[in-house]
Amino acid sequence: MTARHLLNPADPPLRQHEKLLEIVEVLMHRVETATDHSGAAYAQFERAAMLEEQVRERTRDLEQTLDLLNRTNARLAEANSSAEAARKNLSDAIDAVEEGFALFDAADVMVMCNARFGRHLSDIRPLLVQGLGFAEYVDLVSRSGHLQLAEGETPADWARLRLARHHDPHVIFNVPLIWDRWLQVSEHRTAGGGTVILQTDVTDIIRTERLERGKLLDDQARVVRATLDHISQGVCIFDADARLVGWNAQAATVLAVPLSRFRLGLAFEDLAERLVDEADKETDGETDEETRASLGMLRAWVRDRPQPSALHFEMRRRSGMILDAFAREIPGRGFVISFSDVTLERTAIQALSRANETLEARVAARTLELESALANAERANAARTRFVAAASHDLLQPLSAAKLFVAAIADDKARPRTLDAAAKAQAALESVETILAALLDISRLESGRIAVTPGPVPLGPLLARLVEEFAPKAAEKGLRLRLRPTGHVVVSDPTYLRRILQNLIGNAVRYTESGGVLIGTRRRGRGTLRIDVVDTGPGIPETEREAIFREFHRLNARASASEGMGLGLAIVERAAAVLGHSLTLHSRIGRGTRFAVGVSLADAGSAPCPPVDIPPDRIEGSSLIGLLVENDEDIRRALTLFLEGRGVSVLEAATGEDAMSLVEEIGILPDFLLVDSRLGDGMDGLALIEAMTARYGALPLRLITADREEGLRQTCVARGVGLIYKPIDTRALERFIVQVGEIRISGGG
Amino acid sequence: MASRVLRVAQVAAQDAAPIDGLDTGLGEGPLALVVMFVSPRADLKVLSRSLQGWRPGVPVIGCTTAGEIGQEGYDEGKIVAVGFPAGEFAAHVELIPDLANLQPQPLIDGLIQSRAALARDYAGFENECAFLMVDGLSTREDALAAALAPGLGPVPLFGGSAADGTRFLETFVLHEGSFRRNAAVLALIRTRCRLQVFKSHHLTPTPIRMVVTEADPARRIVRRINAEPAALEYARLLGKDPGQMTPFTFAAHPVLVRVGGQHYVRSIRQVADNNDLVFFSAIDEGLVLSLADAGDMVDHLQQALADLALNGEAPGDILACDCILRRIEARERQREGQLSCLLRDHRVVGFSTYGEQFNAMHVNQTLTGVAFYAPEGAG
Repeated sequence: MTARHLLNPADPPLRQHEKLLEIVEVLMHRVETATDHSGAAYAQFERAAMLEEQVRERTRDLEQTLDLLNRTNARLAEANSSAEAARKNLSDAIDAVEEGFALFDAADVMVMCNARFGRHLSDIRPLLVQGLGFAEYVDLVSRSGHLQLAEGETPADWARLRLARHHDPHVIFNVPLIWDRWLQVSEHRTAGGGTVILQTDVTDIIRTERLERGKLLDDQARVVRATLDHISQGVCIFDADARLVGWNAQAATVLAVPLSRFRLGLAFEDLAERLVDEADKETDGETDEETRASLGMLRAWVRDRPQPSALHFEMRRRSGMILDAFAREIPGRGFVISFSDVTLERTAIQALSRANETLEARVAARTLELESALANAERANAARTRFVAAASHDLLQPLSAAKLFVAAIADDKARPRTLDAAAKAQAALESVETILAALLDISRLESGRIAVTPGPVPLGPLLARLVEEFAPKAAEKGLRLRLRPTGHVVVSDPTYLRRILQNLIGNAVRYTESGGVLIGTRRRGRGTLRIDVVDTGPGIPETEREAIFREFHRLNARASASEGMGLGLAIVERAAAVLGHSLTLHSRIGRGTRFAVGVSLADAGSAPCPPVDIPPDRIEGSSLIGLLVENDEDIRRALTLFLEGRGVSVLEAATGEDAMSLVEEIGILPDFLLVDSRLGDGMDGLALIEAMTARYGALPLRLITADREEGLRQTCVARGVGLIYKPIDTRALERFIVQVGEIRISGGG
Repeated sequence: MASRVLRVAQVAAQDAAPIDGLDTGLGEGPLALVVMFVSPRADLKVLSRSLQGWRPGVPVIGCTTAGEIGQEGYDEGKIVAVGFPAGEFAAHVELIPDLANLQPQPLIDGLIQSRAALARDYAGFENECAFLMVDGLSTREDALAAALAPGLGPVPLFGGSAADGTRFLETFVLHEGSFRRNAAVLALIRTRCRLQVFKSHHLTPTPIRMVVTEADPARRIVRRINAEPAALEYARLLGKDPGQMTPFTFAAHPVLVRVGGQHYVRSIRQVADNNDLVFFSAIDEGLVLSLADAGDMVDHLQQALADLALNGEAPGDILACDCILRRIEARERQREGQLSCLLRDHRVVGFSTYGEQFNAMHVNQTLTGVAFYAPEGAG
């Protein structure tokens, strides 16, 4: 701010000075007259402006204050209005509620209550007003004529108890009033420490509840009653004092007590007595002990209650009725007894048990019969076995001797007629032998007592030998007998397989008049081989195909007895069945027949059984010494003849003991032993062989036996003892001698 | 847009039957008061006659103008009538007939009684204000405002000095159908509408000051400034040729006086031939005057009108007394159109004055008036 503009720089200094003086003069005058009250216009403006300024400030302050006041007022009004509304709402709400309502503040002074509060206590209702203390309120209530005090309770007692409850955080209880009215009183604490008391009239609820409970009990009782009457058991229910509180008509029936005797409150003891009396009456004073004991048990059970477990027993009445009784405790210390008539069930069980006994007796009788039959069968079987054994021994023994004798004749320098007769006798004997052997085979196969030992069997050598065996006969008849060579090894028993094929080939050769017989093998599927024996014979008619497998059935009766008795196919069929080989027949009349045996192929690595024997090349027994031990004199003589005929020096002995002492005596160890298996009463053949071997070491030997028992054969195999069966096959004996001779030659060098 | 609370009608000043048009424009329904702003071009005798018997019982007051503010903002040669609906407003009209011989005390007494009666009769209308129209050439505005203040008490007063275009010959106020000089008319208004009386100007003081060394306060004439002839010294301080002084010069460069921390405008009306300066308002010897600097009028008006929003609600209508010098300045600065749009958009009606009254003060170069808002709860 500057006063510089007041002067015109263009003025000379004197003029400027004058101007300043003039300005100062005016200003001074204005300052001096400023406070004068002047009606002059500018003064009025000035005052107005000053005033305006003050007024403006004041107004501003005022406005602010006013505004504040207004806002405060507005809020106050609002608050008042909402408080008023709230109070109104509260008041309306409180009056609207069904319950009596009272509010006491934190100092336990009543702030408000609604019209319903205390209306049940009409005598004190006018006194329940704002400002009333809680203790005063309780005192008033306690002395109200409408309050139903408990017996012996004074208003002071009630008030004391009521005040004690007042300290609880939450209180709710029912207050009985006179005229059977009920009031539920609840106290609630407000956030401000005040108390709200609600009084609810629960008279209707309590009365209804009471009615409902009564009705419910009635309903239950009816249901129980109906249930009791419905069931077939007799039921008696007793209370804790053993007094009858419930029963059904069935109880009277099964206990045979008149229904009129049953009455509510009947003591159990009375009923028990009554039962005993009834029982006595029924049985003319002789109650059976069982019933008496049962009732005694029941009475003891009842007397000694409480019982940890139920009681279960049966009562038998003379009348035949059987009662199943069951007693158990029920809640409330009472007990219930039920009686079931189980007479029918028991009777049924008895009947059943009787039927069972009868059945068992019949089964036992039948078992005895069967056992007897079995014994008969076994006896018959044993007889047959014995016959077979006897036949094999007793028949073969003389046959063997006969053959040896005939053979001895042939060796001598006899006349041609004699020789011819001897040859025929030999053939007849062999025929008998063959028939016998076949009969024995059949017998053994039938008896099922043979033991087969299936093992790997090379077919090639077996078939070759058979073909060789039948070759002379075939040649004789002008037949071609051909074998297709085979290298297969099959699983079978070599003896019986041989017997099967021997019969088939023999039949083929026998019945074929012209043409030939072909033996071959054919693979059939995996692991199976079919051995075919095919002939160009007459064929087997359809009608005969079953019959041919029967014993003694011969298709062509022309055949001589020497050609067999028709046992061959019977043996084949039975042996194949025992070995598990299939047997099939394919035949066309006039064209020929093919028999096929199905066998299993052996595994590649299976070792074949050793060959049964080796065919002789030549008979060379000279200078050999043989020890022959045979108790049958005929056979010993015949064998000695036969052996000497082959240049063998024979040492004879009838028993094992003789044989041992003979060798001891002459001091010469024989080159071989021929020992019969049965040597009378002394040591048997095997024992002798054992003793000789033990004393002199291993010797070539053969056990001679007519015994076809499998057990003996296996024992011999196990001990390495060779067997020659009676009747003695002279060729087999010759092969043995040759064998011994070779050993001696190679051994003696 | 806030709903209107006043009714406005306008006709051309030369209209042969102006009242017919105004009557139609103001519409049906009872009115509590009608205020007319009359262009000096109007035939006052015709108008006065037409008013006889028009809307009986409705007080009609008004004044002559230096231009009207009507439905399209700044206007000229119009008669603008503003109707106050009786549903929202109540009014009592007081004529102050002889300003030359103003008797403050009876005036004050009368006002107090009138206010009390009005408050009693219309207790439901909570808001009140006073609207003054005064002969603009009477030079008695300061005295009148000062005299009215005690009678009005807390009631805010606003008003304008009647004008005569830019002729400065004769100005009239209208009361009961008569156009009067040397008189003022005051309307006490009570209303349901909320209201706000305001005063606004766009001038700020500069450091350039001067001292009145000789004056004729009664005639608002300053003869000498800084011991030099007033006009010459004023021109020197403005850096202008004294011979080129025009009303725009005054309008653009008013002077300010400082009273009680506030600056008030002292507008110069004209330059006399003897280089005296004639003012629109009171002056005195020994006053220190500051040159004023004018800001942008459009920005200022926009801000001033925006500031009138009450809690975000714009006024329904604004009744305003706008200094003729502002209009002159706007015209010179080519802002009249923009200002006119602002006035129209904010529903400002009123007139251009020879001075404005605000509470107990007579001031110049302001926009002074009242803003009415829709009654609370009226939507």
